[in-house]
Amino acid sequence: MRKLAEVLRDWEAVIGLEVHTELTTLETKMFCGCKLSHDDEPNANVCPVCLGLPGALPVPNKEAIRSIVKAGLATGCAIQKRSMFYRKHYFYPDMAKNFQTTQGPVAFCMHGHLNLEVRGQGAAELPEDAPRERYASTPSVAMNAHGGTGALALDEAAGKGELTRIEDGYEVPIRILRIHMEEDAAKMTHIGGAEGRIGGAAESLIDYNRCGTPLIELVTEPDLRTPEEARLFMEKLRRIFLAIGISDCSLESGSMRCDGNVSLRRRGQTTLGTKTELKNLNSFKSLHDGLEYEICRQAEVLESGGTIAQETRHFEPARRRTQVMRVKETADDYRLFPDPDLAPFDLSDDFIEGCRAELPELPDAKRDRFVAELGVRRSDAEALAGDPALAAFFEEAQASARKGAASVANVLLNVVLGQWRAAGESAATSSVTPAQVAGLADLVAEDAITSAQAREVAAAMAKTDEAPEAIVDARGMRQVSDDDALMPVVEQVISSSPSQVRQYRDGNQKVIGYLVGQCMKASRGTGNPKRFNELLRESLG
Amino acid sequence: MSCFDELSAAEIARGVAAGEFSAEEVARASLDAIAARDGEIHALLQVTEELALKRARELDEMRARGEKLPPLAGVPLSVKDNMNLIGSRTTCGSRMLEDYESPYTATCVQRMVDAGCLPMGKANMDEFAFGSSTETSYFGKTANPWDTARVPGGSSGGSAASVASGEVTLSLGSDTGGSIRQPAAFCGVVGLKPTYGAVSRYGIVAFGSSLDQVGPFGRRVEDVAMAMNALVGPGADPMDSTSQECPVDFLEHLEDGVEGLRVGLVPALCEAEGISGEVRGAVRAAAKALEDQGAQTIEVELPHIDDSIAAYYVIGPCEAFSNLARFDGVRYGYQEPGCATLAEQSEKSRAKGFGAEAKRRQMLGAYLLSSGVYDRYYYKAQQARTLITRSYAAAFERADVLLFPSAPRTAFKFGEISSPTEMYLSDMFTISSNIAGNGSISVPVGPGPESGMPLAVQLQGPAFKDRRLLTFARAIERAFEAEGAVAPACARKGGELA
Repeated sequence: MRKLAEVLRDWEAVIGLEVHTELTTLETKMFCGCKLSHDDEPNANVCPVCLGLPGALPVPNKEAIRSIVKAGLATGCAIQKRSMFYRKHYFYPDMAKNFQTTQGPVAFCMHGHLNLEVRGQGAAELPEDAPRERYASTPSVAMNAHGGTGALALDEAAGKGELTRIEDGYEVPIRILRIHMEEDAAKMTHIGGAEGRIGGAAESLIDYNRCGTPLIELVTEPDLRTPEEARLFMEKLRRIFLAIGISDCSLESGSMRCDGNVSLRRRGQTTLGTKTELKNLNSFKSLHDGLEYEICRQAEVLESGGTIAQETRHFEPARRRTQVMRVKETADDYRLFPDPDLAPFDLSDDFIEGCRAELPELPDAKRDRFVAELGVRRSDAEALAGDPALAAFFEEAQASARKGAASVANVLLNVVLGQWRAAGESAATSSVTPAQVAGLADLVAEDAITSAQAREVAAAMAKTDEAPEAIVDARGMRQVSDDDALMPVVEQVISSSPSQVRQYRDGNQKVIGYLVGQCMKASRGTGNPKRFNELLRESLG
Repeated sequence: MSCFDELSAAEIARGVAAGEFSAEEVARASLDAIAARDGEIHALLQVTEELALKRARELDEMRARGEKLPPLAGVPLSVKDNMNLIGSRTTCGSRMLEDYESPYTATCVQRMVDAGCLPMGKANMDEFAFGSSTETSYFGKTANPWDTARVPGGSSGGSAASVASGEVTLSLGSDTGGSIRQPAAFCGVVGLKPTYGAVSRYGIVAFGSSLDQVGPFGRRVEDVAMAMNALVGPGADPMDSTSQECPVDFLEHLEDGVEGLRVGLVPALCEAEGISGEVRGAVRAAAKALEDQGAQTIEVELPHIDDSIAAYYVIGPCEAFSNLARFDGVRYGYQEPGCATLAEQSEKSRAKGFGAEAKRRQMLGAYLLSSGVYDRYYYKAQQARTLITRSYAAAFERADVLLFPSAPRTAFKFGEISSPTEMYLSDMFTISSNIAGNGSISVPVGPGPESGMPLAVQLQGPAFKDRRLLTFARAIERAFEAEGAVAPACARKGGELA
């Protein structure tokens, strides 16, 4: 198979995503009062409503509606004041009523968009000469189902999908068709038989704890063109949903799930090719790699004169391939119709504005503020703003730092965060205080300690509530930058490393790193490596 | 010595409260009447003796402790077998649910029991309420207590027959297209379909969710009014998001009379083809009786009313297809043994679990909702629904109530109507108020001069003006002295109250 970069020189990939997010931060299910928890004993959190028992009726969870409206507002969607629930019919035991309660042509949230910034290596996936406007060649996938009003006016702000070149990459707006509310299905476990499928299984177990979990489904327009864009879109969406607090957004546990639709067409063409739907993209890496593989597979099929079948394919990350799950020969007929047990929703302006008022600062705005007001590096600001707890920790730390926010961001992201991750901790759970991190950042900014020492201090901070200054003093760790103290060390290293000195003098500049390392070792880590470097160079001429 | 079937609900409750007889004695009298009468009538699919006696003893203990008794204390009640009641099966008249026991009780049943009723049994019905004669029940037919060769109507035929035979005092039925009013008319009892949303549907096995409404049967308008107080009293049901607060005392204006009120007659309906002479005469007599009491009759038009049946036989089957999809033999209900695959099990369980009419309606619904067909039928039916609702609104600007036949004719014989479409026409006067959602009531006006079978008229009112319907019904009841009549062949058979 050819590589992605080559394939995308000849073919344009048209990608759309469907993202399901469980509203895990709610207390109860979508249409009943059952507790929202999948961890309990199987079928512990069930009632006549979520089991679809005869006579049971749904009562909508108002908090779930509040969550989806927030999701819509945070992604630039128009909130529909009037929308309805529909019934989508299919016979399968994971849905106790044999229909899923979902929404019809008009969802609570319609027509939003997210701006993607694609930088660095990932930006190179898109050919330099890719079309600058995207929307014209990919008409909206808006469903024109029964009785629907069809597509609404496009959000003006999204424009024509124009790509803007920025330093180190490009920026492009990706349209969101809709975000609708629905209920999740039960979890099935098939025992015996092949590959955990129901066909051939000896027994199929159903756990209805998940059945009726409030789920929002976001559908993008087919505006994405590279696996990297898809990955970035999903990352950005996850950061937004985390910021507004509607879900724990875990790809691993499946509380956030993504399906990718992808088709290829020859560069310059405007008609769409046959698409396949990709499942099991349960990490950002799988999302990228699955799409990458599928694009290359489709190119190979098309280039050898074959045709793409409209089918659902399962990505197997370990084998880096996709496998057919099922072939869609005809469109499924779900017999969608308005749920007669649920009156149409009329959302008031007060309700919508109330949701808007509850929105926190969104990641993009936070990042821009960190850059503009606090002087944090853009990439650091982006990383901090994407995690609400980390961002809050950072803000508190930088407020008490004497040497500026940039150093706090650097220490937090490059020293502290790594230790938290290794220990399974986070900003929310760690005992390390913002004041400790601020103190540590100041010590680093003042060159009082080396970054190696900073790691040691940070590790110590996790076990004590002492200030980093006190830790440094107690351990005698202050970095030495005084030439009178450093010079003897430099001289000793030069005399004991004759072959490296010769190499350096013969023009091998890189060997200086080794010599600095020897100096650090000889000073037991207390010498200023920058100054060692300078003194070594001076001494060696 | 008297028979409990001669007493009104209020008289029973007063008697229990005063200690003239205990609630347990009433329960035993009702059980005795059921034993003596139901062998021939087969109104009940289950007699819930233990539940009835348990409730009766609770009430008797309350009285012994000097506590105030609820308003329907000791009143024997049957409920249609599509209503869940813990401790009983909910069969819906179907093999599919032959052994199904619900783990919860329907709100309407609970409210009646809370109000003091004794749950005596579960009443026979057309399978899943699909029918107008109770002949489609998997568990056999119910006979009309006035003539056991005739049908009791349907689908709540068992409910109507259990009241008409005097086995119980009150019954609950459900009405999707006339399933309370038509059997009430056939059996000579009062049957009210309240306004959609007035009574909770939680715990009623759904047929057509936007059409279904629970309502009471009684032999007196007053009994029905008391049942309505129990059904709406505690307010909207938090378990049914389509239910609404209905803060009305249905007894308050019962005896107010109809002087100065306007009764709308719809000539096109009263003269429609297929109406028997007796029924025509009954409507005329009822109009005259109301005029005699000071009401004014006027002619009104109800445009689009003819489209009700067509709209109903689109919307009803669509909703039924969806509501009955859950019966697949996986979790509960009839399960075909020995199947190799899930699909085979579902197909065979449904094929054997459902009767012909239930299959017909579901297949019709599945077709009508399918892509490409939907717009032509379901969408059109919803448009018709809007027009019919508007046409009612216009009529009620001129008239306080409308007077219709309840059914085109009196009860027919078993097997007399075999064509489904002909059977569908027996609901021609009742369906429109399910489409529009407003309340309506069937009131008996005595036996027909030719047939000897009960005759009735129907009153329809604006939405949430159900109390007004009862005031009119009471005026008719007074005029025809139809109050409290038990079917002659059943009266006083068993049921003696010591």
